[in-house]
Amino acid sequence: MAEESISNGFIMNPVSGSNPPVVAKKKRNLPGTPDPEAEVISLSPKTLMATNRFLCEICGKGFQRDQNLQLHRRGHNLPWKLKQRSTKEVRKRVYVCPEKTCVHHHPSRALGDLTGIKKHFYRKHGEKKWKCEKCSKRYAVQSDWKAHSKTCGTREYKCDCGTLFSRRDSFITHRAFCDALAEETARLNAASSMHSLAAAGNFNYQLMGNPFDTGMPQHLSTVFKPISSCNDDTIDQTRRGFPLWMGQASQGQDSIGKSTLQEIQQFGSLNPGSIYGDPVVSTSNPPALDYQLNWVFGNKVSSGNAEDHQLTTSTSLPSSNVKENGSQLVSVPSLFSTQHQSHQTPPFSMSATALLQKAAQIGATSTDTSFLGSFGTKCSNSQDRNKYSDLYVSNTPTTTTLGSDLENSANDISTLNQLQMYPAKRRRMQNEDGGGGGGETRDFLGVGVQAVCHPSSINGWT
Amino acid sequence: MKVSSAKVSKESKVHGGHHKNSLHSKRRSHHSILPLQPSDQLDQWSSVTVDMYSNHHQPQTSHTSTSRSSDYSAGGGNNGEPSGTGNKWASRLLKECARAISDKDSSKIHHLLWMLNELASPYGDCDQKLASYFLQALFCKATESGQRCFKTLISVAEKSHSFDSARKLILKFQEVSPWTTFGHVAANGAILEALDGEPKLHIIDISNTLCTQWPTLLEALATRNDDTPHLKLTVVVTANIVSSVMKEISQRMEKFARLMGVPFEFNVISGLNHLGELTKEALGVLEDEAIAVNCIGALRRVAVEERAAVIQMFRSLGPKVVTVVEEEADFSSTRYEFVKCFEECLRFYTCYFEMLEECFTATSNEKLMLERECSRGIVRVLACDDDQDNEGECERRERGSQWSERLKEAFSPVGFSDDVADDVKALLKRYRSGWELAQPHQNETGLYLTWKEEAVVWVSAWKP
Repeated sequence: MAEESISNGFIMNPVSGSNPPVVAKKKRNLPGTPDPEAEVISLSPKTLMATNRFLCEICGKGFQRDQNLQLHRRGHNLPWKLKQRSTKEVRKRVYVCPEKTCVHHHPSRALGDLTGIKKHFYRKHGEKKWKCEKCSKRYAVQSDWKAHSKTCGTREYKCDCGTLFSRRDSFITHRAFCDALAEETARLNAASSMHSLAAAGNFNYQLMGNPFDTGMPQHLSTVFKPISSCNDDTIDQTRRGFPLWMGQASQGQDSIGKSTLQEIQQFGSLNPGSIYGDPVVSTSNPPALDYQLNWVFGNKVSSGNAEDHQLTTSTSLPSSNVKENGSQLVSVPSLFSTQHQSHQTPPFSMSATALLQKAAQIGATSTDTSFLGSFGTKCSNSQDRNKYSDLYVSNTPTTTTLGSDLENSANDISTLNQLQMYPAKRRRMQNEDGGGGGGETRDFLGVGVQAVCHPSSINGWT
Repeated sequence: MKVSSAKVSKESKVHGGHHKNSLHSKRRSHHSILPLQPSDQLDQWSSVTVDMYSNHHQPQTSHTSTSRSSDYSAGGGNNGEPSGTGNKWASRLLKECARAISDKDSSKIHHLLWMLNELASPYGDCDQKLASYFLQALFCKATESGQRCFKTLISVAEKSHSFDSARKLILKFQEVSPWTTFGHVAANGAILEALDGEPKLHIIDISNTLCTQWPTLLEALATRNDDTPHLKLTVVVTANIVSSVMKEISQRMEKFARLMGVPFEFNVISGLNHLGELTKEALGVLEDEAIAVNCIGALRRVAVEERAAVIQMFRSLGPKVVTVVEEEADFSSTRYEFVKCFEECLRFYTCYFEMLEECFTATSNEKLMLERECSRGIVRVLACDDDQDNEGECERRERGSQWSERLKEAFSPVGFSDDVADDVKALLKRYRSGWELAQPHQNETGLYLTWKEEAVVWVSAWKP
């Protein structure tokens, strides 16, 4: 009996089936699929909306329900015969909707229940008189409205990321933009982005290397800022010839990065010409920094070495820059931190101290700035850190790894890698067996900034 | 704190309105607004300045009277109003300075700028913040460096924004204030009603909302209709949005639409110099699509002379509905009268800043960033010439009634249904008190969002 109507029926969400389904997928009959033997009743809208359908034949009083009518009839003291209902079997009745445009107007889609057809008529074709106070949703049927009011506002929405919402609209908007939503696509993107970053690296190279428009140094300076305060400390201590991280592990975590970041700093602080060619140009070379660099790059650093010299001079620059002109240091740790994702990219407005503190934390959020976009998304994992600690602990990491990693790390430091200093660094690293750092994030020196966060790597130096 | 009589007398000597003019008339012969005049003329101000300065500093610690006496005038008179109650010392100083600039009164300008500089801070209370941002604009106006300053602000903003920061900012703002969501709900309601029953929808979005309007629309499309229509969303990017941000947004929107089960297509059009250049072809408008044009906070960025052309361009796309949301302020009709424009600008941003102050927590970073965003607009409106080709950075707002005049040239207004009005009211209930929905006046169209009974945002719907 249901077959004929399935084909033209609209589908409601199947709930638990009452009749065995004819089609495997549908769990219950479609509404409005009546028994073909049933008597089809078509009531006028007026009748449908009438509240007192059951009329007493004696006095004409109307009742909403049949039971009420029967109760009333008893009061008329009818003879026994008339008390009973007519004995003829009552045919099953189905009702059609009087609204011509409605699906249920056709007898084949009639509804089996009077209450049902009434509710249908109100819901679909009636005026929505009942309104929820909280969310202003409107209902034509009072029982619907009551049912809704009970649950309205009590429901809490939970996003995949764990945030709870009491408002549906803010939940929806959040959900659409939530990182949890984008997780899958991010993973896909990560794979493809390695290739794209190589290109991006070139682009960034352009940004870095060109005689800049005014924007770039500004940006770099913003990138470099927060390190300034801690760098001052670092430099003071290292000028005493004592690497910062010797004494304090936690602070030391930063210092390696800081010292390496000094390289990076110099890009911000130097003029374009000097970035390319001659890092030594603008500042002097405090010998203490050579010493500091030794610690950074391993025991093989000797100042006599041409490459070392180049390195040391370059690394020495930033410190003096720091000392000379603190104002040039703007926010290194943006770069710094995004490199090892230790914290979110700080808003432009954060104070140096706050940024510094964040830089010291090891976090897991990735950020994606336009310039630093390539930096942010590669998550540091423990494996990388271990690799990196190898860099410091044992002097026998695989140089080829380093070299190839440096070559291949199309991410964060690709821009810096492109710079002229890089080849020198790389050779240097290879000579020193300083390679092996986790392939993902490397600083200018190819050392890998992740180690900054990693305690064991610090200890490894000692 | 009421001023002692001695001070009053001194002030009235210097600062009575006409007194001021007579004093100033001697100094009118300047060639430029700045630099300073010889010190003898400054002496006259210095004592006043000291008074002013000390008076202004007192209120920080004392909250005495809350009366708003209005006898403050020229350059330094302070009748002891404590700024702690937010009583407009900034407003007065700023207006005075604006007048001085308009009068080209160099020494006065210098003094006021100096005073404002002393008192202003972007991290202080509302007055201090307003002083800070408007001081920047006044300074640029006085030194004619508005264009350069504006460009710097733009480039700084571009570089400090990422998808994450922008997203966080906008979502947080929407959470604490209905300033933007008001327009979203009303516009979505109008769009859904106008396009009801259409199988293929194409919405052309020219907004500053970073697509935060659309998730709720997608959800409504998915749940409301029996047949979910196909939605194509073409976003026209106005300036200052980095392309990587749009890329992130497009990914998320596509994914969300998939989640909702709405057939979806997302396109971005960027690099556009003038909105009027858009065409049907450029937007990918197809014949069988039902078009809606959604314009939020975008018309004000069109150069004033080009606005009529842009509206005609909208018409040429053949939309079924055009929704326009703009902030209620008039920087356009007064654009040749500096002082009037300044006062209107100050009024609007005072309202905005006070709103931010109330809606956000005191130390909110998002609030700070939103305030910073205003600095560009303020400098642009007050200190830049419109003649310069600024590629959609005009920021000259107009009131709803003014926009209506323009839009009536090509469209006729559509009222918002009761359902939509109810939705908006329900939305406002979810925020803290102070927000109301207001119907327009007799012959006007649209809906107004009011904050403390002052109309702040206007939304309207139009059909051809």
